Amino acid sequence: MTIPSAPEDVRTGTLRTVGSGAAPELSSAQKLMIFVLSMSLFGLSNVILEIIPDVSVGPVEVDVSYFVFVPLTMVALFSPFWAALGAPLGEIVFTDLLMGDFSGLAEVEGFIQMFLALYVAGSLIRNPRNRGQLTFAAIMVVTIDKVLSAAVDLTKVFIGVEDAELVEGLPQSVLLLEGIGFGVDVIISGIIFGALPAIWLVPALHGKIEPLLGMRPRVPGEPIPGSAPRQGWFVLVAAALTVASFFFAFLEAWDVEVGAVDSDFRDTYGDGFLWVSVAALVLLLAVALAIARRKGKQR
Amino acid sequence: MARKHRDVLTVEWVKLELIRTAYASRGGLFARMDPRVVVLWYLVLAIVPWLTHNITVLALLFALGVVSVVLARVGPLVLGLFVIGLGFDIVYTAVASLFFGGGWETLAALGMLNLKLGAVSMFSMAAFVSLDPEKLSDALLAFRAPKLLAFGVSYGYRMLPILMEEFITVFDGHRLRSAPVERPGLFGWRVVVRVAKTAVRCFYPIFLNTAVNVRTTIEALETKGFTYGAPDARALRLGTLRVAGIDWAVCAATAVLLTGAVLAGQAWPMFR
Repeated sequence: MTIPSAPEDVRTGTLRTVGSGAAPELSSAQKLMIFVLSMSLFGLSNVILEIIPDVSVGPVEVDVSYFVFVPLTMVALFSPFWAALGAPLGEIVFTDLLMGDFSGLAEVEGFIQMFLALYVAGSLIRNPRNRGQLTFAAIMVVTIDKVLSAAVDLTKVFIGVEDAELVEGLPQSVLLLEGIGFGVDVIISGIIFGALPAIWLVPALHGKIEPLLGMRPRVPGEPIPGSAPRQGWFVLVAAALTVASFFFAFLEAWDVEVGAVDSDFRDTYGDGFLWVSVAALVLLLAVALAIARRKGKQR
Repeated sequence: MARKHRDVLTVEWVKLELIRTAYASRGGLFARMDPRVVVLWYLVLAIVPWLTHNITVLALLFALGVVSVVLARVGPLVLGLFVIGLGFDIVYTAVASLFFGGGWETLAALGMLNLKLGAVSMFSMAAFVSLDPEKLSDALLAFRAPKLLAFGVSYGYRMLPILMEEFITVFDGHRLRSAPVERPGLFGWRVVVRVAKTAVRCFYPIFLNTAVNVRTTIEALETKGFTYGAPDARALRLGTLRVAGIDWAVCAATAVLLTGAVLAGQAWPMFR
């Protein structure tokens, strides 16, 4: 397969656009198309990865965590916001729900991390035919995603999960494993299955796939099409989401941390305390059912 | 028709198994329930294991998870992946902690965590394997999840078999048209590289095909009135949902069993 010759990318210092002088507006149907396409393709790539067995060298897993080039192609060619929103959902819908390793609220952490990584990477790409930008963006996706989750994991071990002193060897082992794992991920997921395929695929699809969705191809140097709504707020929300992703991750950690305090707690209140929580949940379920029932009757 | 287990590990089998999972065609207890109740049931049982450190209670919840997986008739592929995943997780943390001088103490701590995670994943398997795409998206709509999410779930599950089929066709086409690797090399690394390259190349036609499919689907939906703001679509879709006797029975049984587990935990507490 040949790489189509890149058109001239002459930079004159101003942002060039075709037509009205602004980035093209997307209709809501087009946003939905980008979202769904990104979701389906990333989901498909994850299902394919699920079939390939993971290779472990000792405790370090040498595997492809995801085909980064698939969502990267989407964010490079289309609106990064909608493409980045769709991809992690595809992962959850296709693999996690289907394969039964849906981890509940911890999924939210993964979703937010992947969304931020893809959105940032997509915003970095100004020219979808520039190999340097594509390589950089591919590595950025893996870096942002993995650094965020590694930070969460490490903090969990040092603060939350256990008394670090009590469990000898755990902090070091986790630190080392995370470090090695990160390096392996950048090389395998970021470069071999990220940058290298993207350098071929993005220029090959550029100008061919957009008309199929009724859109105009991106012109090098113009602002990102259909960027995030309300940009000032978006930065704030993104920052809040990062914190939120930590929060969701810590839901797991808290649990064991409560365990450290728990002995006191349990002495004071007795195991009867556990009753309260179970009773509350059962009550919640009953109320929810009753409401559902009543609503059902109203119709 | 009984499935033969000789040809278990083929791509075709994996695909069929995925489709069966996605469409919940195995039947089972939860498949007959109201999807909203199944989702609520899952939410409660996914949270309960996090509230306790009593190993007795956790073990009983784990057992309840096993029972619900059996009742939901979870298929062998999903179950196998889960068991392998859990097993590897334990082995790998054990090796890591022993290697760095940690003792069996570490293992006990991680073992409890795995017991919890295992129970939660089994409940999620039981619940989501039993919900076909239509039901799951109805349930999401009923809980006022974003329409984009409900649509995505429904569309994703529906398209998955088609996408898989397409990918395999393209992959086989590539394989047929290319000469086999001349020398496999050490551990057959050339074969691995070839397969990886082919898999990546397949995405070019897949991207284009899927783009066309997506556009067709969405435009078809528009002509049928599925747009962001259609007000009565929700009522129309949720009109058929009914909470019946079986739902109450399952909820009651779950409540009794949960109470039993907590009582047993009080009678024979076991902490690490």
